[in-house]
Amino acid sequence: MEDTQRISYTEKEKNEVFTNEFLPLIHSMYNFGYRLTLDRDDAKDLVQDTYMKAYRFIESFQTGTNAKAWLFRILKNSFINDYRKKSKEPSKVDYQEVETYYNSEDVDRQITPDLRVESLKDMMGDEISNALNSLEVDFRTVIILCDLEGFKYEEMAKILDIPIGTVRSRLHRARQLLKEKLSVYAKQMGYNN
Amino acid sequence: MSQQVNPFIQADGTKPSCMQMLQIILDEQASADQKEYFKFHMAKCLPCFKSYNIDATIKELLKSKCCAGEAPHDLIEVIKQKINQQLSL
Ligand SMILES: [Zn+2]
Repeated sequence: MEDTQRISYTEKEKNEVFTNEFLPLIHSMYNFGYRLTLDRDDAKDLVQDTYMKAYRFIESFQTGTNAKAWLFRILKNSFINDYRKKSKEPSKVDYQEVETYYNSEDVDRQITPDLRVESLKDMMGDEISNALNSLEVDFRTVIILCDLEGFKYEEMAKILDIPIGTVRSRLHRARQLLKEKLSVYAKQMGYNN
Repeated sequence: MSQQVNPFIQADGTKPSCMQMLQIILDEQASADQKEYFKFHMAKCLPCFKSYNIDATIKELLKSKCCAGEAPHDLIEVIKQKINQQLSL
């Protein structure tokens, strides 16, 4: 927000940008808020807060640029500054481990042995949602941004204020962790290889 | 199409590993050429084929099961009200 050029909008233009570009994204914003906080009321507060900030700082948004990435970044910052501080969940990502993991290059070894397409296809309930929610928040976030919202590496890097290389390695590790979770569910469902 | 040129090779000549190609595909950051190349690659590389099928299935599951649904009906109204309140202060 602080590194972009400010534009002066008239009151009418402000409302147009807000109504036509920001408000239609409310469902994606709410889902992001919900997946971060894992609580519907907190998600509502977080989204409200984000939109209030977006309105207040609308001059630093340039029309024609990606409104969704801009809003997601505000929401993520609000979550870290206002919400996460209050909650007990600290950041636990071990970046050293992430890098080493990423450098091991054997795809074959990456395959979680007891996870198969057939068992995944049987997961019709909340398994996948629970598995996603169980991931540490930094890993959960990259999966949401990439797989649910379809952001590009560069956009994710901007939203999260991290280098592209870190986006990539975090995504890789997140996918591995998700598979490990799902393979536990697969075992519980009786799929033993 | 020509299979001689690997579109995953970077400007500095580095050739990505199977795992790196797979990730570019999964993260949906691949160009049309890269997607095409990977399709041919998968046909002769069993680890990539297996891994891709599992990862792509998970991705589909995520998309169909991990949306919190619509935002609460009153959320937009609440936001608009709050902004109007602020403006009238
Ligand atoms: Zn391969």
